[in-house]
Amino acid sequence: MAIMLLAITLFLALAAMFILATQFSDLKERASIIAADNAQLLISKIANSPEFSCGDSYGSEMSSCIDADKVINLKKDISQYGNGGFWGVDGIQIRTIYPQNTGIECTALNYPNCDIITIVKGNGTGISSFVSLCGKISVNEIAYNKCNLAEIIITYSGSLT
Amino acid sequence: MQSGRDNNHVFGEFDIMNKKGQEEMVGFALIVIIVSVIILVFLGFFLSSKNNESTKTLEAENFVLSSLQYSTECTDYYGYISLKNLIFLCNSQTDCVSGQDSCEVLNSTLQGILNQSWKVGGGSSIKGYELNISSNTGWILDMEKGNLTGNSEGTLQPFSDGTGASVNIVFNVYH
Repeated sequence: MAIMLLAITLFLALAAMFILATQFSDLKERASIIAADNAQLLISKIANSPEFSCGDSYGSEMSSCIDADKVINLKKDISQYGNGGFWGVDGIQIRTIYPQNTGIECTALNYPNCDIITIVKGNGTGISSFVSLCGKISVNEIAYNKCNLAEIIITYSGSLT
Repeated sequence: MQSGRDNNHVFGEFDIMNKKGQEEMVGFALIVIIVSVIILVFLGFFLSSKNNESTKTLEAENFVLSSLQYSTECTDYYGYISLKNLIFLCNSQTDCVSGQDSCEVLNSTLQGILNQSWKVGGGSSIKGYELNISSNTGWILDMEKGNLTGNSEGTLQPFSDGTGASVNIVFNVYH
């Protein structure tokens, strides 16, 4: 009888250890996945905020679309947004991916012949997401919509979990 | 006297049977425990093995959605055609207004976008990618680069042009 009790206790202990091990083995991995998802959601929130998003300025309503004309003007007035503190980030930068990036920083004078719009310079952890960067370009005095593939990079200090 | 000897004999046999029964119970319990431990080990191994199925990720989804809005060099009478509309143009075998083959423009544009967006190999964590575009009338385009490992994340984007044509874009990134 004593051996039976011992055996049952041993079995239950093993079963409990097995359940605990399977439940908590990937805890760190899950935490990092949640942090990455939160970061992606924060980027989506910023890209789709009224200060950035295209809305229906380029035909139909588009998601993950940043209005370059808005952003160039936002760059001048970013201090009114607490230099990014309004969105809870330290830095915001938009870089053209395609057509190929030549590394020219955008100003009100050289826009749209440029590739990088640094709204706020930031240090810390950087995360990025694909967006389309749309603006109006003039060809023979006719305005056309032009969208490039770009990435929005936000930097933040601390954790987003 | 006779009956007392008989009784002792019966009790002795009962003791032996009882002991044998206990031994069998212990043996049975040990077998059950060993089998249970083996099952637990197998289950643990099975559950802890990584799930290699494609999972929809925000990054891949954002890439596809943003790329679809890209203004290609193909034009119509209103301006630059988006990549999304170019797919439908290629599907209907219609050329650009400028005379270019819509499928050739689609192919070169997507090649450029993929090359610039996903750096494959070297020190990159991305080992490869594959893009498949098909419509309700057939295959449109297939592209792949690098090593298609078992560890992937990707997205499936279905959309239509409102005239009955529908397109599916499947994009997977392999790590």
